[in-house]
Amino acid sequence: MNNVNKLKPVAQLIGVSKTYQGNSREINALKDITFQAYPGEVILLLGPSGSGKSTFLTILAGLQGPTSGEAWLFSKKIQDYSPAGLQKLRAARVGFIFQTFHLIDSLNAIENILLVMRFNHTNKKEANFRAIQLLERFGVAHLAQACPRTLSQGEKQRVAVARALANNATLIIADEPTGSLATEQGMNIVSLLRKSAKTENRCIIIASHDQRIAGYADRVIFLKDGVCSEKGEM
Amino acid sequence: MYALKTLTDQPFRFIITACGVALCVVLILFLLGIYKGVSVGSVEYVRSSDADLWVLQRHATNILRCTSILTPEHSTTLKETPGVKFVSPVLFILASVKLPEGPATLYLTGYDPKTGHGGPPEISKGRNINKSGEIVLDRSFASKHHINIGDPLQVKNDTLVVTGFSKGTNMFVIQYAFITLADAHRIIGLAGIVTCYLVKVIPDAHLRHISSEIEAGLPDVVVFDRKKFLENNIHEMESGILPLLFVVAVIGSVVLMAILSLILSINVLERRKDFAIMKALGSPGGFIPRLVVIQAMILSGSGLVVGIALFFPLMGVVERLSPEVSVLTSPFQILAVILSVTVISLISSIFPNQKLRKIYPLEAFK
Repeated sequence: MNNVNKLKPVAQLIGVSKTYQGNSREINALKDITFQAYPGEVILLLGPSGSGKSTFLTILAGLQGPTSGEAWLFSKKIQDYSPAGLQKLRAARVGFIFQTFHLIDSLNAIENILLVMRFNHTNKKEANFRAIQLLERFGVAHLAQACPRTLSQGEKQRVAVARALANNATLIIADEPTGSLATEQGMNIVSLLRKSAKTENRCIIIASHDQRIAGYADRVIFLKDGVCSEKGEM
Repeated sequence: MYALKTLTDQPFRFIITACGVALCVVLILFLLGIYKGVSVGSVEYVRSSDADLWVLQRHATNILRCTSILTPEHSTTLKETPGVKFVSPVLFILASVKLPEGPATLYLTGYDPKTGHGGPPEISKGRNINKSGEIVLDRSFASKHHINIGDPLQVKNDTLVVTGFSKGTNMFVIQYAFITLADAHRIIGLAGIVTCYLVKVIPDAHLRHISSEIEAGLPDVVVFDRKKFLENNIHEMESGILPLLFVVAVIGSVVLMAILSLILSINVLERRKDFAIMKALGSPGGFIPRLVVIQAMILSGSGLVVGIALFFPLMGVVERLSPEVSVLTSPFQILAVILSVTVISLISSIFPNQKLRKIYPLEAFK
């Protein structure tokens, strides 16, 4: 993975700390984190519950700012983006996969995918074409009109992955993507994500406590009590 | 797509809300219809009169809620005023009539049927009175009390025969009835006195000049031209009933706003996660607030369609049950209600949209 270091990082944290104000004490979710993520990489953020993985991801995606340090997204400091600029950036270049899929229940599978393309102002005809392509690619085209509540966990996650890739995002943030899946289903999803990173030059950052994913990652970052240590290339 | 689907996701709630909106729409249309019905019924008598001038006792301004007593001497002076073509006396009496179900009150109008001036604006059925002992009733009064043409009607000690029904004579709380001036004098027990004189002037006469002449000759009277007198009566009617209708209409609008706002707020709270996800996925700034506005429009639009569709058959039922309730509507009124409900639904979406602002994309990670 040495060649990726010659590229510009997709996302970067420099000395980032994040402190939350609790009822009686301060909680240091992240402590002096420095990190870069490059296109084509699959990075696993490994750590137990409460280690700061979600905070890490949300700062990286520009959903919140750090208490101190600098967070960079696509070669620009997050603080320098306007809220509307960040929203446009997320719609166009960042894809999200959540642990519990977070598909919108009142929309069917294809509408869930079309929705994010609408956020990106994609032409309706093109969006339909692309949504069908993605559903076919992940083997759920026959479920295009199905409501999320009628889908199995594995099917839901495939639709969620299709949604994350709908806008050709450069950065995919996956928060516990296998957490609600059986082992085999989970590994299939991670495998699909890795394939997408390699063939489409996306940067995929997966937060998980599941060590079995490490085999699919280029780098593993360990996070414990807000402190980060890197294992390096796999 | 999302706006409609989330509403139809819970069809029972959607139908109940649309019905609630529809009832408010019916209420508002009903109030406007009553207002118009009362407006027409209250002043149609004045509006349709061909009198150029109305002469009343000084300080009286209208015939709806004022006391005015004039004498035959006034008539003599009026007739002698240059430019006056004819003078017609009219006597208004609030009188109780005996009916099988109990007493009822009429606004008896005594006039001279030979001249026709001061009589009913329009006869909808039967014929006008032409001699003593006859009475024309407002059609809604007759309908309410199941009175037919030819029926006797006891007014104090007199028994009058109903010869016809009039239209444009329903003041909602009371209705006009028309009898001869002689009968009116007998009923009130005072001969000669009248409430007002209707004056017709010769063609091309100067109305203001004649009015001044009359007021100069009769210092205890006041003279109104047709336009001013109509304005006075409309003002009197409006000041009496409008505040009541206004309060009920405001209550209806507030209820409508509360229904919409509540349902939309519940929807926002129930879909909190959806909105957080949308925000995380990069929904444009106005996208989610627009969803709420669209939902408000869908709810109010459905309510409007149902409400307007229900209004006409319901009014038929109300008019059959309470004929004195005269409801008139117009395309303009319906358009005004559509616009008002649209504005109300826009206002209703403000509160849920405030709630939306407190939903953060980070919630999608919880």
